[in-house]
Amino acid sequence: MTFGRIRTSLLVAFGAALASLVILYWRYGADTEVSGEKIVIASVIGLATGSLYALSATGLVVVYTTTGMFNFAHGGIGVFCAFVYWEIVENADGLGLPPGLGLAVVVLLVAPLLGILIDLILMRRLRTAPLVVQLMVTVGLMVFLLTLANQIWQADQIRGVKPLIDRAEGFNIGISRVPYYRFANLVIAGVIAVFLRILLFRTRTGVAMRAVVDNRELTSLTGARPGLLSGFAWALGSSMAALAGILVAPDIEFNPANLNSLMLIVAISAAAFGQVRSLPLTVVGGLVIGLLESHYQQWISLGPDFTFANRAIAPIVLFLVVLALPQARLSVGRVSTNLRPIERTTRVWEGAFGAVALVVLAYVLAKGWFHFGVWDPGEWSSTGLNKGTSAMVLALIGLSLVPLTGWAGQVNFAPLAFAGFGAFLWLRLGLWFGLPDTGGTGNLVWLPLIGLLCAPLGALVAVFAARLSGLYLALSSLAFALIMANVVFPHPQVLPRVHTFQSLYLDVGFARQDFDTRFSFFMLLIVMFALGMFALIVLRRSRFGRRWVAMQDSQAAAATVGVNVVWTKVVVYATSASMAGMAGVFWATSLSSVDIRSFDLLAGLTIVLLMAAAGMSFPVAGLFLSFQVVFEGLAERLEQTENVEFLVWLLKDFFAKFGPGLLAIGMVVNQRGAIFEMGKGFAPILPWRRDAREELAAENARKRVTEVGGLGLTEPFTSEAIIALDTQLGIVDDVTPTAGYHHGVSRA
Amino acid sequence: MSKRILFRWLSAVLALGLMASACGSDRDDAAVGTTTTAAPTTTQAPDGGGGETTTTTEAAEADPCEGVTLEATEIGVSEDTIKVIIMADVDSPLAQGLFQGSVDGVMAWAEKVNADGGLACREVEVEFHDTKLTPATTVEGFLKACESALALVGTTVLFALDTSDLNTCDDQAGNPIGVPDIGYITTEVAHQCSPNSFLLSRPGAECPYEGGPRDYTAAVGAPAVLAENLGVDFNGVFIVPGDLPSTIASAVPQTAAQEEIGVTWDGVFGVSGSATQTEFGPLVTTMRDNNSNFVYNGSNDQAMLKLKREAALQDLDVDAVTWLCSLSCYTPAFIEQGGGDAEGVYVWSFFVPFEEADTNEELGTFMDNIGTDFPPAWAAGAWIDGLLFEDAVNAIVDRDGPNGVTRQAVIDELTTVTTFDAGGWWSTTDFTTTNTIGSCFMVMQVQDGEYVRVHPEERGTLDCSIDAVAVTADPDAFALD
Repeated sequence: MTFGRIRTSLLVAFGAALASLVILYWRYGADTEVSGEKIVIASVIGLATGSLYALSATGLVVVYTTTGMFNFAHGGIGVFCAFVYWEIVENADGLGLPPGLGLAVVVLLVAPLLGILIDLILMRRLRTAPLVVQLMVTVGLMVFLLTLANQIWQADQIRGVKPLIDRAEGFNIGISRVPYYRFANLVIAGVIAVFLRILLFRTRTGVAMRAVVDNRELTSLTGARPGLLSGFAWALGSSMAALAGILVAPDIEFNPANLNSLMLIVAISAAAFGQVRSLPLTVVGGLVIGLLESHYQQWISLGPDFTFANRAIAPIVLFLVVLALPQARLSVGRVSTNLRPIERTTRVWEGAFGAVALVVLAYVLAKGWFHFGVWDPGEWSSTGLNKGTSAMVLALIGLSLVPLTGWAGQVNFAPLAFAGFGAFLWLRLGLWFGLPDTGGTGNLVWLPLIGLLCAPLGALVAVFAARLSGLYLALSSLAFALIMANVVFPHPQVLPRVHTFQSLYLDVGFARQDFDTRFSFFMLLIVMFALGMFALIVLRRSRFGRRWVAMQDSQAAAATVGVNVVWTKVVVYATSASMAGMAGVFWATSLSSVDIRSFDLLAGLTIVLLMAAAGMSFPVAGLFLSFQVVFEGLAERLEQTENVEFLVWLLKDFFAKFGPGLLAIGMVVNQRGAIFEMGKGFAPILPWRRDAREELAAENARKRVTEVGGLGLTEPFTSEAIIALDTQLGIVDDVTPTAGYHHGVSRA
Repeated sequence: MSKRILFRWLSAVLALGLMASACGSDRDDAAVGTTTTAAPTTTQAPDGGGGETTTTTEAAEADPCEGVTLEATEIGVSEDTIKVIIMADVDSPLAQGLFQGSVDGVMAWAEKVNADGGLACREVEVEFHDTKLTPATTVEGFLKACESALALVGTTVLFALDTSDLNTCDDQAGNPIGVPDIGYITTEVAHQCSPNSFLLSRPGAECPYEGGPRDYTAAVGAPAVLAENLGVDFNGVFIVPGDLPSTIASAVPQTAAQEEIGVTWDGVFGVSGSATQTEFGPLVTTMRDNNSNFVYNGSNDQAMLKLKREAALQDLDVDAVTWLCSLSCYTPAFIEQGGGDAEGVYVWSFFVPFEEADTNEELGTFMDNIGTDFPPAWAAGAWIDGLLFEDAVNAIVDRDGPNGVTRQAVIDELTTVTTFDAGGWWSTTDFTTTNTIGSCFMVMQVQDGEYVRVHPEERGTLDCSIDAVAVTADPDAFALD
């Protein structure tokens, strides 16, 4: 992939965006009078906005270039540091530092320290982790930092950040006024890009930083210290984030969510323009997006059907850029250092048993037949069932990620987009096909049809995805989610502004079951989840399942044994889209109606985040999505009890708020997810899981390697040590009572 | 969806919705909590502590509690307590602390009621349910009310997409009558048209509504008066809170109604709460191109500041423009953050402002109890919701005794309220229909960092001389520039 080809591709993308703008103007902007003056004004505005985007994106590029990790927490770091700046400079009750000094303190001290801490505590452990783990940890960090900022700087105080240069001072370009502080942003963005370019390409440190990404071991042989360099890279990236946050703050309403949204999506789009590696192109990308936005706003009005389309400009640019990149080649000739151990696949009868057990357990719990010792939770109230319903619809959507991301390794940040498509079809089915009892009130016999109709959308996305891999695939799914949320779903022909999803029923001609009560709807969701879980377990053991996993392990290897990678991707995307689409029917029914707010990016990310933290390759991980609901429900129960205030706070205010972020961050030490660890502990006690007991024993033996390493030298001979030695030597296994027998010792 | 935007939109929406609800008469009546229903005679009782007044139901000749064995007459009504739930969007990463003011307002009201001896011979118990800006938690709040409360008071939620439980859950007798919901504001059609919801901010819109053109009634007092007083025909731009379909739809009646009285819109712009100041550039361009002399901000206070700042940056003569803002600009933040940029902005209010607490006894009581000099408007709204509920319960007690309090009785009582004005503090509100609306208002202007009354001149009064305008418009066809 030469740089020239990439640049050509980006020019094509930019040209396509520009052409789209012209076509849109020709079609929808005919009433707007074009004048040179307006062009200048729109351009000045666009450049001012674009410089903010460029600033935000540079840090992202620095970290990726020098650590190989894409940092979704970039915006979160910027937000946190901007609020620290406010605290020490603007807050009347704070330190009251002069702005220049405050800026220096935050950018040169606080942010680098934060970056170094992030590197030391988290990122160094992720060096060889799969991409999905790396991405999820940074997304978790973002969620954590935003939650932290929200909790520290709550909305009970008015906050704002003044620009470093007086707003009133500036100069004119034509009749357009350019304040110095905005011009300074543009200059700073350019200077930083040049400075970083020189640092990374013309200095020994910069070259070493980039070299570490390519080959850590080889670089260390040259005398470089990879640990130090990665710490420096994170410090630098955090400083860039902090600077961007502080400079952007005066132009927006100062709160964490706003600041983050600006520093996340648009910054990602701008960074993608530079391949997340080229700083000059990144700056150009930021400016291009700013210009496209301002000119769109100046010249084009798409009418009430596309009210929110302007929000999709950055994602569309991201999508175009990613698609314009040359097709990813299969990675060959490199030995993977992150081989996954062979997993035992769940047997079909185990899946069936688990599914039935889940349904029975849910029924018993909801009916209040199960008592926890002295605590009798009683029959679930409507409120409890509502909480259960909310959790289970998310679990159903989460299931769709298992084959796609958990098995096939295709990172997808757009589960809600597929779910929304299913909801849209469910609503429109009656209108289009004249099916009886559809259009919001539905007979579940049509549910498989929704699945079938959603499959082509998944296949369509797969066609694009086939060109992409790794990070770009993840970013394109993000763009896809945003485009669907802001352009497609708000269109009244897709989801009318006034609509209702009524209750569901199943009518097969000779029998009918209504799900119009909370309990019946909850149990329906449980049954659907159990069925979905079982189907996935069967699917995992099928040829498709094995191919998906093989594709994740190595596309090249899979291709060499005859797996058609493109076709396999199409099938897995179609499967996932079908599952999400059908889940969308239940999701929409539980919400009664859906609109743009239902597709909140954070909500979608949280689903992916929690699934990953639980263990994306395990269907049962979907149940993990209910943890917030469970914690809140428990806290509400406990609120009626005295002397448990701390526990209530812990459940309701801490875990429920910080939980998603912390769980994702926890993947640093538990990359395969909580379900895997729980399963490892639980499986050995199942009578038929001799394999789990043997694996546990082997693992225990491995742990004792160091203990027996000094046997007879620094460690005395003991019966336990001899048993461990025997086990390591393979003389006996340590699950039998004969271990150590040959040496005259016994376990007793 | 983005994001904390809502914090501002809310105030914007609040203002838009409330603007549509202005109604009533000049505050020439000192009666507190008056309604046209069989409300009890009320008096203002000085507490002897320096002028603080309270609203109390005069026990007429006999104490209604005397000799009565109190019973648990309804879900949420025990022998010694009446439980109400305040539902509000507060704790959300999108808008931290959003409607905390509503919670404070209801809590303060309940505290005062209990200090005065309670309601229907019982203590008022308030439970807060945080709806967190999500539809599911909002439904959960309705369910919680169904299970445990007599009524919802002070409801301030934006995601009430499904009100079926609110309207149909069983009362203690097993009748599917739902729960009375004395709320403050909503943007959702389902909530606007819920028969059990008695929103202080009347929708001013036709119900039920299934889509397409909709009949509205909208107040136009402030722009009409300003145009007349300044002697100009307004042409300008309208700032619409552009993050949600429902917030955009909330601007439909106001744009149409102002057109009816002669305002020409050079542009109607939807702006996001997360918009940067530079994104207001095209609005300034439009104003320059059309020599606009008027800006109406239906969005939040920050949007007004951003536009005015951008206009000043672009050398537009900001003094030649009349800047009119909905109630969303009546905040300490607007003055504090706006500085000189806030100067000259007109603010349209439908209630006697907090600075005039000495002119209205109910307002004075509220200010004495709310614990801050400048509470958010929704704190006042929630307090007044409490007053409305209190009036309804007192009327029931007067008629049927303290054991007559049921959900059905409260709903019946509220359904007949045609004029409620919180003792002249608030615009008179008619709860018998969704599509009538009054037009009482007052206008303030920011002068030297303070809100200064400019119309009507007499402190403590509202102007009710300009009728609301009836318009028909299709929210689905509402195009933003």
